Amino acid sequence: MINKKNKFGQEEMVGFALIIILVSIILLVFLAFSLNKSKTESTESYEVNSFLQSTLQYTTACQTSSGIRKFESIQDLVFECDIKEKCSNNEDTCKVLNKTLTDILKESWPIGEDRPNKGYELIINTKNELTLNIREGNLTNDCKSSSQSFYKSKSKKEFSINFEVCS
Amino acid sequence: MVKNKIAQMKIQQMAFMLIAVMIFFALVGLLILTIGFSGLKEKATNLQEENAMLLVSKLANSPEFSCGQAFESKENCIDLDKTFVLKKNIDKYKNFWGVSGIEIIKIYPENKNLVCTNANYPDCDTLELIPKATGISAENFVSLCRKEYNSETSIVYDKCELGKILVKYEKIQ
Repeated sequence: MINKKNKFGQEEMVGFALIIILVSIILLVFLAFSLNKSKTESTESYEVNSFLQSTLQYTTACQTSSGIRKFESIQDLVFECDIKEKCSNNEDTCKVLNKTLTDILKESWPIGEDRPNKGYELIINTKNELTLNIREGNLTNDCKSSSQSFYKSKSKKEFSINFEVCS
Repeated sequence: MVKNKIAQMKIQQMAFMLIAVMIFFALVGLLILTIGFSGLKEKATNLQEENAMLLVSKLANSPEFSCGQAFESKENCIDLDKTFVLKKNIDKYKNFWGVSGIEIIKIYPENKNLVCTNANYPDCDTLELIPKATGISAENFVSLCRKEYNSETSIVYDKCELGKILVKYEKIQ
Protein backbone atom coordinates (compact mmCIF):
# COMPACT_ATOMS: atom_id res chain seq x y z
CA MET A 1 0.00 0.00 0.00
CA ILE A 2 2.79 2.45 0.98
CA ASN A 3 4.82 1.37 -2.08
CA LYS A 4 1.85 2.08 -4.37
CA LYS A 5 1.41 5.58 -2.84
CA ASN A 6 5.13 6.30 -3.29
CA LYS A 7 4.94 5.19 -6.93
CA PHE A 8 2.00 7.56 -7.55
CA GLY A 9 3.92 10.42 -5.95
CA GLN A 10 7.02 9.65 -8.02
CA GLU A 11 4.99 9.57 -11.26
CA GLU A 12 3.44 12.97 -10.46
CA MET A 13 6.86 14.46 -9.70
CA VAL A 14 8.25 13.12 -12.99
CA GLY A 15 5.24 14.62 -14.82
CA PHE A 16 5.78 18.00 -13.16
CA ALA A 17 9.49 17.94 -13.95
CA LEU A 18 8.70 17.08 -17.59
CA ILE A 19 6.32 20.05 -17.86
CA ILE A 20 8.94 22.39 -16.35
CA ILE A 21 11.63 21.09 -18.75
CA LEU A 22 9.30 21.48 -21.75
CA VAL A 23 8.31 25.05 -20.85
CA SER A 24 11.98 25.94 -20.13
CA ILE A 25 13.03 24.64 -23.56
CA ILE A 26 10.29 26.71 -25.26
CA LEU A 27 11.36 29.76 -23.26
CA LEU A 28 15.04 29.25 -24.14
CA VAL A 29 14.22 28.90 -27.85
CA PHE A 30 12.14 32.11 -27.66
CA LEU A 31 14.94 33.96 -25.82
CA ALA A 32 17.65 32.77 -28.22
CA PHE A 33 15.50 33.83 -31.18
CA SER A 34 14.80 37.32 -29.82
CA LEU A 35 18.44 37.92 -28.77
CA ASN A 36 19.72 36.74 -32.14
CA LYS A 37 17.31 39.08 -33.89
CA SER A 38 18.54 42.15 -31.99
CA LYS A 39 22.17 41.27 -32.79
CA THR A 40 21.80 41.31 -36.56
CA GLU A 41 19.33 44.19 -36.87
CA SER A 42 20.56 47.75 -37.08
CA THR A 43 18.00 50.52 -36.74
CA GLU A 44 17.17 52.75 -39.68
CA SER A 45 18.30 56.24 -38.73
CA TYR A 46 16.99 59.59 -39.98
CA GLU A 47 20.34 61.24 -39.17
CA VAL A 48 22.33 58.68 -41.20
CA ASN A 49 19.84 59.06 -44.05
CA SER A 50 20.34 62.85 -44.08
CA PHE A 51 24.11 62.32 -43.99
CA LEU A 52 23.98 60.05 -47.07
CA GLN A 53 21.74 62.49 -48.93
CA SER A 54 24.03 65.45 -48.18
CA THR A 55 27.20 63.48 -48.94
CA LEU A 56 25.93 62.45 -52.39
CA GLN A 57 25.43 66.16 -53.18
CA TYR A 58 28.97 67.15 -52.09
CA THR A 59 30.99 68.86 -54.85
CA THR A 60 34.40 67.24 -55.32
CA ALA A 61 37.54 68.79 -56.82
CA CYS A 62 37.23 66.60 -59.92
CA GLN A 63 36.24 67.92 -63.35
CA THR A 64 35.65 65.35 -66.08
CA SER A 65 35.17 65.62 -69.85
CA SER A 66 31.47 64.81 -69.44
CA GLY A 67 31.01 67.70 -67.03
CA ILE A 68 33.24 70.45 -68.45
CA ARG A 69 31.33 73.34 -66.97
CA LYS A 70 31.08 71.92 -63.47
CA PHE A 71 32.86 69.97 -60.79
CA GLU A 72 31.46 66.51 -60.19
CA SER A 73 29.35 65.65 -57.16
CA ILE A 74 30.00 62.44 -55.22
CA GLN A 75 26.95 60.86 -56.90
CA ASP A 76 28.25 61.74 -60.40
CA LEU A 77 31.74 60.58 -59.44
CA VAL A 78 30.36 57.11 -58.65
CA PHE A 79 29.15 56.81 -62.27
CA GLU A 80 32.45 58.20 -63.61
CA CYS A 81 34.40 55.76 -61.47
CA ASP A 82 32.30 52.90 -62.84
CA ILE A 83 33.28 53.75 -66.44
CA LYS A 84 36.94 54.31 -65.35
CA GLU A 85 36.87 57.99 -66.35
CA LYS A 86 39.72 60.35 -65.35
CA CYS A 87 39.54 63.87 -63.92
CA SER A 88 40.83 66.81 -66.02
CA ASN A 89 44.05 66.82 -63.96
CA ASN A 90 44.54 63.13 -64.93
CA GLU A 91 43.67 61.85 -61.46
CA ASP A 92 41.72 58.60 -61.24
CA THR A 93 38.04 59.26 -60.40
CA CYS A 94 37.88 56.17 -58.17
CA LYS A 95 40.86 57.42 -56.13
CA VAL A 96 39.29 60.88 -55.75
CA LEU A 97 35.99 59.26 -54.71
CA ASN A 98 37.72 57.04 -52.14
CA LYS A 99 39.81 59.86 -50.68
CA THR A 100 36.94 62.37 -50.51
CA LEU A 101 34.58 59.88 -48.84
CA THR A 102 37.26 58.73 -46.38
CA ASP A 103 37.92 62.36 -45.35
CA ILE A 104 34.19 63.18 -45.09
CA LEU A 105 33.60 60.13 -42.86
CA LYS A 106 36.58 61.03 -40.63
CA GLU A 107 35.26 64.57 -40.10
CA SER A 108 31.58 63.67 -39.74
CA TRP A 109 31.74 60.51 -37.58
CA PRO A 110 34.93 60.68 -35.50
CA ILE A 111 35.54 57.29 -33.88
CA GLY A 112 37.52 56.17 -30.87
CA GLU A 113 37.32 54.48 -27.47
CA ASP A 114 36.38 57.75 -25.71
CA ARG A 115 33.91 58.80 -28.41
CA PRO A 116 30.26 57.81 -28.88
CA ASN A 117 31.00 56.17 -32.24
CA LYS A 118 33.12 53.03 -32.27
CA GLY A 119 33.10 52.21 -35.96
CA TYR A 120 31.44 52.54 -39.36
CA GLU A 121 31.18 50.96 -42.78
CA LEU A 122 30.23 52.51 -46.09
CA ILE A 123 29.48 50.35 -49.13
CA ILE A 124 28.72 51.50 -52.67
CA ASN A 125 27.70 48.73 -55.04
CA THR A 126 25.58 47.67 -57.96
CA LYS A 127 23.60 44.43 -58.04
CA ASN A 128 26.64 42.53 -59.33
CA GLU A 129 29.77 44.36 -58.22
CA LEU A 130 31.27 46.28 -55.35
CA THR A 131 32.43 49.80 -56.25
CA LEU A 132 33.72 50.99 -52.89
CA ASN A 133 34.01 49.77 -49.32
CA ILE A 134 35.31 51.94 -46.47
CA ARG A 135 35.44 50.37 -43.02
CA GLU A 136 36.90 51.89 -39.88
CA GLY A 137 36.90 50.82 -36.21
CA ASN A 138 34.70 48.13 -34.64
CA LEU A 139 31.21 47.30 -35.84
CA THR A 140 29.39 46.55 -32.59
CA ASN A 141 25.83 45.26 -32.06
CA ASP A 142 24.45 48.77 -31.47
CA CYS A 143 24.36 50.24 -34.98
CA LYS A 144 22.26 52.67 -36.97
CA SER A 145 22.17 52.55 -40.72
CA SER A 146 20.58 53.79 -43.89
CA SER A 147 20.77 53.06 -47.59
CA GLN A 148 19.87 54.89 -50.76
CA SER A 149 19.65 53.97 -54.42
CA PHE A 150 20.48 56.17 -57.37
CA TYR A 151 20.86 55.66 -61.10
CA LYS A 152 21.81 57.51 -64.26
CA SER A 153 19.50 57.04 -67.21
CA LYS A 154 22.51 56.99 -69.61
CA SER A 155 24.30 54.05 -68.03
CA LYS A 156 21.06 52.33 -66.88
CA LYS A 157 22.96 51.04 -63.89
CA GLU A 158 21.47 51.32 -60.43
CA PHE A 159 23.87 51.95 -57.55
CA SER A 160 23.12 51.65 -53.90
CA ILE A 161 24.98 53.30 -51.05
CA ASN A 162 24.73 51.81 -47.57
CA PHE A 163 26.17 53.36 -44.43
CA GLU A 164 26.25 51.86 -40.96
CA VAL A 165 27.65 53.55 -37.86
CA CYS A 166 28.02 51.74 -34.53
CA SER A 167 28.28 53.09 -30.99
CA MET B 1 -12.12 8.72 8.00
CA VAL B 2 -8.86 7.54 6.38
CA LYS B 3 -10.38 8.11 2.92
CA ASN B 4 -11.30 11.72 3.86
CA LYS B 5 -7.73 12.35 5.01
CA ILE B 6 -6.34 11.00 1.72
CA ALA B 7 -8.77 13.24 -0.23
CA GLN B 8 -7.74 16.28 1.84
CA MET B 9 -4.09 15.47 1.17
CA LYS B 10 -4.84 15.17 -2.58
CA ILE B 11 -6.64 18.57 -2.58
CA GLN B 12 -3.74 20.15 -0.67
CA GLN B 13 -1.26 18.61 -3.12
CA MET B 14 -3.22 19.98 -6.08
CA ALA B 15 -3.43 23.42 -4.49
CA PHE B 16 0.34 23.49 -3.98
CA MET B 17 0.86 22.31 -7.52
CA LEU B 18 -1.46 25.04 -8.89
CA ILE B 19 0.35 27.71 -6.85
CA ALA B 20 3.73 26.46 -8.13
CA VAL B 21 2.50 26.48 -11.73
CA MET B 22 1.02 29.99 -11.28
CA ILE B 23 4.28 31.33 -9.83
CA PHE B 24 6.23 29.74 -12.67
CA PHE B 25 4.03 31.29 -15.37
CA ALA B 26 4.02 34.65 -13.56
CA LEU B 27 7.85 34.63 -13.64
CA VAL B 28 7.84 33.72 -17.34
CA GLY B 29 5.34 36.52 -17.99
CA LEU B 30 7.47 39.01 -16.08
CA LEU B 31 10.53 38.03 -18.11
CA ILE B 32 8.67 38.49 -21.40
CA LEU B 33 7.25 41.84 -20.23
CA THR B 34 10.73 43.05 -19.22
CA ILE B 35 12.13 42.18 -22.65
CA GLY B 36 9.15 43.86 -24.34
CA PHE B 37 9.36 47.05 -22.30
CA SER B 38 13.11 47.42 -22.77
CA GLY B 39 12.49 47.55 -26.54
CA LEU B 40 9.69 50.06 -26.01
CA LYS B 41 12.00 52.45 -24.16
CA GLU B 42 14.51 52.26 -27.02
CA LYS B 43 11.71 52.92 -29.52
CA ALA B 44 10.54 55.95 -27.52
CA THR B 45 14.08 57.39 -27.47
CA ASN B 46 14.43 56.83 -31.23
CA LEU B 47 11.07 58.49 -31.86
CA GLN B 48 12.03 61.50 -29.74
CA GLU B 49 15.32 61.79 -31.63
CA GLU B 50 13.49 61.49 -34.95
CA ASN B 51 11.01 64.21 -33.98
CA ALA B 52 13.87 66.59 -33.16
CA MET B 53 15.53 65.71 -36.49
CA LEU B 54 12.25 66.35 -38.31
CA LEU B 55 12.04 69.80 -36.76
CA VAL B 56 15.55 70.56 -38.02
CA SER B 57 14.79 69.16 -41.48
CA LYS B 58 11.52 71.11 -41.65
CA LEU B 59 13.53 74.25 -41.01
CA ALA B 60 16.25 73.36 -43.54
CA ASN B 61 13.63 72.72 -46.22
CA SER B 62 11.69 75.94 -45.55
CA PRO B 63 11.80 78.55 -48.40
CA GLU B 64 14.05 80.90 -46.37
CA PHE B 65 16.83 78.28 -46.29
CA SER B 66 16.28 75.69 -49.04
CA CYS B 67 18.14 75.58 -52.34
CA GLY B 68 14.93 75.49 -54.37
CA GLN B 69 15.41 75.67 -58.15
CA ALA B 70 18.72 77.54 -57.93
CA PHE B 71 20.71 74.32 -57.47
CA GLU B 72 20.41 70.76 -58.75
CA SER B 73 20.31 69.54 -55.16
CA LYS B 74 16.88 68.97 -53.71
CA GLU B 75 16.26 67.80 -50.14
CA ASN B 76 18.31 68.76 -47.07
CA CYS B 77 20.04 71.47 -49.08
CA ILE B 78 20.65 74.97 -47.71
CA ASP B 79 21.35 77.92 -50.02
CA LEU B 80 24.22 79.47 -48.05
CA ASP B 81 24.22 82.77 -50.01
CA LYS B 82 20.50 83.25 -49.32
CA THR B 83 20.95 82.33 -45.66
CA PHE B 84 23.83 84.78 -45.29
CA VAL B 85 21.61 87.59 -46.60
CA LEU B 86 18.84 86.41 -44.26
CA LYS B 87 21.22 86.92 -41.32
CA LYS B 88 21.14 90.67 -41.96
CA ASN B 89 17.35 90.70 -41.54
CA ILE B 90 17.13 88.07 -38.81
CA ASP B 91 15.43 90.47 -36.34
CA LYS B 92 12.26 90.28 -38.44
CA TYR B 93 12.31 86.45 -38.23
CA LYS B 94 13.21 85.92 -34.57
CA ASN B 95 9.86 84.40 -33.54
CA PHE B 96 8.95 83.07 -36.98
CA TRP B 97 10.19 79.49 -36.58
CA GLY B 98 9.47 79.11 -32.87
CA VAL B 99 13.07 78.18 -32.05
CA SER B 100 15.51 79.96 -29.78
CA GLY B 101 18.69 79.42 -31.79
CA ILE B 102 19.86 78.51 -35.31
CA GLU B 103 23.44 77.87 -36.37
CA ILE B 104 24.85 76.45 -39.59
CA ILE B 105 28.22 74.73 -39.28
CA LYS B 106 30.47 73.59 -42.11
CA ILE B 107 31.92 70.11 -41.45
CA TYR B 108 33.85 69.29 -44.60
CA PRO B 109 36.17 70.65 -46.01
CA GLU B 110 38.09 71.32 -42.78
CA ASN B 111 36.56 73.46 -40.08
CA LYS B 112 38.69 76.27 -38.64
CA ASN B 113 35.86 77.53 -36.38
CA LEU B 114 35.70 80.88 -38.15
CA VAL B 115 32.41 82.71 -37.60
CA CYS B 116 31.02 84.14 -40.86
CA THR B 117 31.08 87.91 -41.26
CA ASN B 118 30.84 90.27 -44.24
CA ALA B 119 34.63 90.38 -44.29
CA ASN B 120 35.37 86.64 -44.51
CA TYR B 121 32.31 85.08 -46.26
CA PRO B 122 32.43 82.43 -47.83
CA ASP B 123 35.79 81.41 -46.32
CA CYS B 124 34.25 80.74 -42.92
CA ASP B 125 32.74 77.79 -41.05
CA THR B 126 29.95 78.88 -38.70
CA LEU B 127 26.96 81.01 -39.65
CA GLU B 128 25.24 82.15 -36.46
CA LEU B 129 21.71 83.12 -37.47
CA ILE B 130 20.20 83.30 -33.98
CA PRO B 131 23.27 82.92 -31.74
CA LYS B 132 23.99 82.10 -28.10
CA ALA B 133 20.64 80.55 -27.23
CA THR B 134 19.78 78.13 -24.43
CA GLY B 135 17.52 75.07 -24.55
CA ILE B 136 17.45 71.59 -26.04
CA SER B 137 19.55 71.31 -29.17
CA ALA B 138 19.00 69.15 -32.24
CA GLU B 139 21.19 68.89 -35.29
CA ASN B 140 21.12 67.24 -38.66
CA PHE B 141 23.34 66.89 -41.70
CA VAL B 142 22.67 69.23 -44.61
CA SER B 143 24.24 70.13 -47.90
CA LEU B 144 25.51 73.75 -47.94
CA CYS B 145 25.36 75.04 -51.51
CA ARG B 146 26.48 78.35 -52.97
CA LYS B 147 27.59 79.86 -56.30
CA GLU B 148 31.38 79.85 -56.73
CA TYR B 149 33.44 81.64 -59.36
CA ASN B 150 36.22 79.63 -60.93
CA SER B 151 38.94 82.06 -61.99
CA GLU B 152 40.73 79.44 -64.16
CA THR B 153 37.74 78.64 -66.37
CA SER B 154 35.88 81.92 -65.72
CA ILE B 155 32.67 80.11 -64.98
CA VAL B 156 30.28 80.25 -62.06
CA TYR B 157 29.40 76.78 -60.78
CA ASP B 158 27.37 75.22 -57.95
CA LYS B 159 29.54 74.30 -54.99
CA CYS B 160 28.00 72.11 -52.29
CA GLU B 161 29.78 71.33 -49.04
CA LEU B 162 28.83 69.15 -46.10
CA GLY B 163 27.49 70.81 -42.97
CA LYS B 164 25.12 70.62 -40.06
CA ILE B 165 22.19 72.78 -39.06
CA LEU B 166 21.93 73.15 -35.29
CA VAL B 167 18.62 74.26 -33.79
CA LYS B 168 17.92 75.13 -30.17
CA TYR B 169 14.36 75.01 -28.87
CA GLU B 170 12.44 74.98 -25.59
CA LYS B 171 10.23 71.99 -26.49
CA ILE B 172 9.19 70.09 -29.63
CA GLN B 173 6.22 71.85 -31.22
